[in-house]
Amino acid sequence: MAVTLEVAEVGKDFLIPVIDSVSFGVEAGEFVCLLGPNGCGKTTLLRIVGGLEPPTRGRVLLGGEPVSGSDRHTRKVGVVFQEDRLLPWMTLRENVELVLEPLGVDATARRQTADRYLRLAGLGGFEDYHPARVSGGMRQRAAIARALAIEPDLLLMDEPFGALDAQNRRIMQAEVRRIWRETGRTILFVTHAIEEAVAIGTTLIMLSARPARIREMVRNDGSIARGTLIDGLNTMIMEEVERQQGASSTS
Amino acid sequence: MSARHWATRLHLATWGVATVIVAGWVLLSWRYGAYVLPSPLAVVRGFADIVASGEIWRHTFASLGRILVGFGGAVVVALLAGLASFLSRTARGVIQDFLSVLNSTSVFVWIVISIIWFGLSNWAPIFTTFMITLPVVASNIVEGVATVDRRLLEMGDVYRLSGRRKFTAIVVPSTLPYLVAGMKVGFGLALKVSVVAEIFGVTSGIGYVMNYSREILATQMVFVWALVMILVMTATDKLVFDAVSRRLDRWR
Repeated sequence: MAVTLEVAEVGKDFLIPVIDSVSFGVEAGEFVCLLGPNGCGKTTLLRIVGGLEPPTRGRVLLGGEPVSGSDRHTRKVGVVFQEDRLLPWMTLRENVELVLEPLGVDATARRQTADRYLRLAGLGGFEDYHPARVSGGMRQRAAIARALAIEPDLLLMDEPFGALDAQNRRIMQAEVRRIWRETGRTILFVTHAIEEAVAIGTTLIMLSARPARIREMVRNDGSIARGTLIDGLNTMIMEEVERQQGASSTS
Repeated sequence: MSARHWATRLHLATWGVATVIVAGWVLLSWRYGAYVLPSPLAVVRGFADIVASGEIWRHTFASLGRILVGFGGAVVVALLAGLASFLSRTARGVIQDFLSVLNSTSVFVWIVISIIWFGLSNWAPIFTTFMITLPVVASNIVEGVATVDRRLLEMGDVYRLSGRRKFTAIVVPSTLPYLVAGMKVGFGLALKVSVVAEIFGVTSGIGYVMNYSREILATQMVFVWALVMILVMTATDKLVFDAVSRRLDRWR
């Protein structure tokens, strides 16, 4: 079941402040794209939401429960990283089956679920291939199948198509959009490509230059023409890139 | 397939050089006599003799038996060291420090100490083999555990794999190539070291019989047993370690 996500005044320092203070809420079933210039803390924010990194300030609640600490939530979170992070010594099917083990699914059901999600990701017929034997795009799709197979309450994606060529990227965007429609998961998707965000997200959050704050949050529900939205966001991101470069050249 | 390809496959150039060496060997053997340098023919005859009498198996298996215990023990302890270094970063540091000390200790130190401790028995070559091969195998395994891709372990955390499952699904498979490489080098070392240790106090094994042949002035037998050692080493490399490596590489 998809759940709500609440990010409340989250900040993070790594020697220098990376994230100043960020707050936003995500409704169940929303597809949120997190935008911003390179190095502004998008990935860090995603890792904090995923419980992989503790925030320096503020807190993150998933379905009302904190994502880090001893009273950590019991919700299921799937993460698609920039790299596929498949185990190279396992077949695509075994890679997906592996993450179903902690959920107490029996072997037969694991196999069925793994095969179903691999098919959903367009990998039917490749279940017994090792990652090294398929293309980069297929590996990334297998990583998406793995994240979906646990039927996550929240799906986090960190520039998952960054390593793909333009054509594969468009195909994958359409696939993720379709999978999102079919499964109704809550998705938080990090990207620095504005066209990508506008093409797939229902809500777009633009972060500022480092230390990150929210520069703009827009609903991508068709009320603003796509071209206008892309132009506006492009102007914003250019301003933020310039600010970030200005800040680093004076420091 | 071209003639050149077959020439490469059959190592023709190597055989050519070997022929020249054997010819030189024959000449030198005529010049200095069979005690200093026995002729190739005498070595071949000696080899045929120990195969016919079955003596080759007695001494080879005696040596291999000691290696199995000493080197096998080293592998077991090395695996435990690998497990400890996965469980605790502190343990890894301590283990690495001790391994570098062990690594810089001479074979002869262990031979002398093992004779003092175990007397003239099987345990002297076994202990020496254990102490010499342990740091080689263990540092490979610990290195393998240390270089496990942290990103894969983080993936394991995301999907809440248990510590045990992360170990079996992620740490073990990524460490296996290091283990096999360490065992390959370690086994070669074990054979070389245990043979030296067999010079003292035991009455079987390749090292013993080489030294005995020297004492009874049967120099050709020294060469024969050296040949046996080379054959044992080559056979285990090709039949055991290469086969295991190929199997591990299946998914590449």
